[in-house]
Amino acid sequence: MSQETGQPTVTLTIDGMTITVPKDTLVIEAARQAGVMIPHFCYHPKLAPDANCRMCFVEIEKMPRLQTSCSTKVAEGMVVRTTSPTVQQARKSVLEFILANHPLDCPVCDQGGRCDLQDFSHEYTPPVSRFTELKRVFPKEYFSALIETQMNRCVQCLRCVRYCDQVMDVKALAPQGRGTLTEIKSFGHHELDCEFCGGCVQICPVGAITSRLSMYEFRPWMLKRAETICGYCGDGCEITLQTKENRLIEVNSTLGGGRNNADLCARGFFGYHASTHPDRLTTPLVRKDGHLVEVTWEEALETVAAQVGWVKDEYGPEAIGGLISARCTNEDLYLFQKFMRLVLGTNHLDSSVRYGYMNAIEAFRRVQGLHRWTVTFDDVVAADTLMLIGTNVTETNPITGLKIKEAVKQRGARLITLESLKPVRGTISNIATLATHHLELSPDQFGIGVLGLIKAVFEQGLVDSALEQEAPEYVGALRTKIEAITWDRLLAHSTLTPSMFHAAVRTFEQGARSIVVVGQGVLRSPGGYATMVNIHDVLLLLGRLDRPGCGIAALAEENNEQGAIEMGAVPDLLPGALPVSDPEARRAVAASWGQEPPRTPGLTMMEMIERAKTGHLKALFVVGENPLGSLPPSAGVAEALDRVELLVCQELFLTETAQRAHVVLPACSYAEKDGTCINTEGHTQAVRKAIEPLGESRPDWEIFSALSVLLDSPMEYETAKDLTKEIRNMIPASRVLGPAPLPPRPDREVLRRYILGGYRDDLDGRLTPPPVTKTTGTMTLSFAQSLFHSGKFSTKAKGLLKIQSAGVANLNPQDAERLGVRTGDRIEIRNEGGSAITPVRAWERVPEGVVVFPEHFDQDLRQVMSVTVDPRTGVPYCKLARVSVEKV
Amino acid sequence: MAGSIFDHLQEEVQDIIGRYPVKRSALLPLLNLAQREEGYVSEEAMKAIAALLDLTPPQVYETVTFYTMFNLKPIGKFHVQVCKSLMCALVGSDDVIEWIREKLGIRVGQTTDDGLFTLSVVECLGSCATGPMMQINDDYYERLTKETVCRILDELKQQGDCPLKSGPFMVPEPTS
Repeated sequence: MSQETGQPTVTLTIDGMTITVPKDTLVIEAARQAGVMIPHFCYHPKLAPDANCRMCFVEIEKMPRLQTSCSTKVAEGMVVRTTSPTVQQARKSVLEFILANHPLDCPVCDQGGRCDLQDFSHEYTPPVSRFTELKRVFPKEYFSALIETQMNRCVQCLRCVRYCDQVMDVKALAPQGRGTLTEIKSFGHHELDCEFCGGCVQICPVGAITSRLSMYEFRPWMLKRAETICGYCGDGCEITLQTKENRLIEVNSTLGGGRNNADLCARGFFGYHASTHPDRLTTPLVRKDGHLVEVTWEEALETVAAQVGWVKDEYGPEAIGGLISARCTNEDLYLFQKFMRLVLGTNHLDSSVRYGYMNAIEAFRRVQGLHRWTVTFDDVVAADTLMLIGTNVTETNPITGLKIKEAVKQRGARLITLESLKPVRGTISNIATLATHHLELSPDQFGIGVLGLIKAVFEQGLVDSALEQEAPEYVGALRTKIEAITWDRLLAHSTLTPSMFHAAVRTFEQGARSIVVVGQGVLRSPGGYATMVNIHDVLLLLGRLDRPGCGIAALAEENNEQGAIEMGAVPDLLPGALPVSDPEARRAVAASWGQEPPRTPGLTMMEMIERAKTGHLKALFVVGENPLGSLPPSAGVAEALDRVELLVCQELFLTETAQRAHVVLPACSYAEKDGTCINTEGHTQAVRKAIEPLGESRPDWEIFSALSVLLDSPMEYETAKDLTKEIRNMIPASRVLGPAPLPPRPDREVLRRYILGGYRDDLDGRLTPPPVTKTTGTMTLSFAQSLFHSGKFSTKAKGLLKIQSAGVANLNPQDAERLGVRTGDRIEIRNEGGSAITPVRAWERVPEGVVVFPEHFDQDLRQVMSVTVDPRTGVPYCKLARVSVEKV
Repeated sequence: MAGSIFDHLQEEVQDIIGRYPVKRSALLPLLNLAQREEGYVSEEAMKAIAALLDLTPPQVYETVTFYTMFNLKPIGKFHVQVCKSLMCALVGSDDVIEWIREKLGIRVGQTTDDGLFTLSVVECLGSCATGPMMQINDDYYERLTKETVCRILDELKQQGDCPLKSGPFMVPEPTS
């Protein structure tokens, strides 16, 4: 028994060393802990032992034959020898067999220099082979645009196949044929069609599966490495950017590193070229005679300072606003809001959390009194019951998806999915196929689904008795409201039945560690905030909100949305997510800044756009954000931008918004700067510079700092680290790196306030199903995230464009048949807003009546979207529309 | 699956799947069924089976390629499978293959132009006492000589059947 953990342990001897390890440890792992590396191919800590390569033989006393150390568990008193002559002889034989077929092509193999077979051959093989037979030769076949296979090199360890199945749940790779002639392929001679997570490339111990993006580019010892955080989704995966001569060559990930523990998705593994796309802005631009012309930094900054100074003097600070992308680092976000608040004197600043994540944060703040998850990825893996609501998790947050898959597949958690997916298996994993209860909803029905859950909780009598005693009025009010809504009304447009909801909540209630994961389907659809609060109600009613290991996990789309909240890059929150309206918080901030932030309430993004339209907002700073390219034309962003007198864009690319700017300042990407960012679960992680800034581009924070000097309120910092220190000092209990500092429990006081009255003010509104709008013949168009892209940024990544380069409308095969179209045909999507023609694909996982279109390619289609703004959170909803669809 | 080869076999398919506690176990019987229907296992059939059993097509392909008796390409109406294992080889299976080549003009793995015959070699069919022998579709033909081989192939071509067959191999022998 271990003293500290109380876990049973076993003591054994490996090569004369005595070591104590937890019970059930594999011999190969125990040896590693003792500092003995046992050679192996097929063993991998992430995979179940397979013992097929026979390389890891060891001698164990009292056992009759050599044992495979990767599949043998330790036992008390075991005596293991890893270097005895017998073992050496066995290794030699295994290698001799492998090398009987392995080609001697190390000089042209990309694995050379980091190849297990190379290393072991040096160590164990005799220089001459006894085999005189010819080697097997597989004819070369095209495998895919991104992944290259060279099957002559394969040692048939099946790590790739097992990873693809056990970890990714994709099952796109399979061994084909038998014996020596086994090849790793996908479906026969067809091109690989999968998630392109790159896992097979990374896990292959030899050069049989390699990346085509970096083919023949390098030897491992030529590369410089920077451990940084992926710039795409909110999962915040640790990646190692490998560079040569200031060029990005490839991405790796480390076992045991970061929140992803070596797993990546297509965006992380193949999407790294976006940062160095040739279209990158490399010099400042200033509009002269209607054209943007290249100028020096001095001229550009002086132009901005002079004009913004004039606007401030002429119209006051209230005429200035700013928008920032949540892809920026904490340092950028922090200095942005400090610049807006102190230098320019306005609270009119907002960030891309406003597109949806803000709904989650506002609901967290209202009910739980915090602005973070109360759970971590580790809790998700350890959960026994998981519920996903509108997440589309594999596409939006693939690594969160892997945590869920691990919980379900390897730990037997029960999974309830309220998703707009049909549970059809394919070679892109589908989380609904793992569900114990799957409630299939149209993408506009997640709110209804949550109401159904509340109703089912009452009908099944599952209300937490402690809650009923503490807040009988709250429970009573909810019961009355929800009873007034009939199932017929709730389920009028779905194939679901009340009993499915009953079964789902019963299952959920049985869990002791229950987590609800909420995604963009909820947060970015009309009523997102209300639904988010309703989800809190479900957990409150079941007594699961304030319990260790339970909670709500809302998924952030961009990599630093959580950071944007914590840095105060929203109008009503100061750094540390303290309310601007709280005098105490303002004093605390003033103590650090030497000056109080402005008192006037700030405007949200949509309010700023409205103000600009009426000519009241005169100057707008846009940092990495592209409202013109993100919001539909009906939002009137173009009109608003036309009316502002100064539009300053800090950008990587000349986006739609930047094209209208008066001054464009080239910023550098995450690969070119240092800093920190906070992932969706609240982990602060370091972003590290991998290459020098392209051209004259500079980190965003440096630009604010330079401007502040010109505007006579200098905020000078030498490096990003100085800013990190200031942030750490300002935000109570914050650490440099690591998990969220707050105790991850809801604030009991706030929770009490909510159930004792706070729930009331919008109860009528949020416990009402949306009015029925469906008419026959029309379909629901949903702009959704694709697995292969993230926002518009990834559409600059050449690797990802090889997988997906254009928008295709996905339809259920039955709808396609009804419309008389097949994959590859074209359809016209139309409503009162406009129309557009797009190619179509019939895809079994899309529910009937729904058209799913990747939001990354929505340029022509955006006009059919209209914008509704959430009355409480100001979130613009523009991802769903009713449209009619016709074959063209 | 709409338009799948199993459309008219729904009952049989459901019966096969119903035999096993784990769906995936029905893979081999369904592949057999597909081959019975089409003479080989088509990609369409593999996709249909994958959908039925909650597998991915690569997983089905894996199984098909592991077993040598599944055909991945269309075969002739008569699948001539000559045993080339030791016992038959000792008594002249190479000659049998040569006779067939002379008669039909096809080598191992090929199909005649009229689409009638495909020639394969197989491992021991358990009829060692009566070699050389071959199996055509489900029927055994034993103690082959050049004359009988010619006659079998001729009669199959002309009448679709040949009385020289000793019937399908069965264990244990039917007790009629």
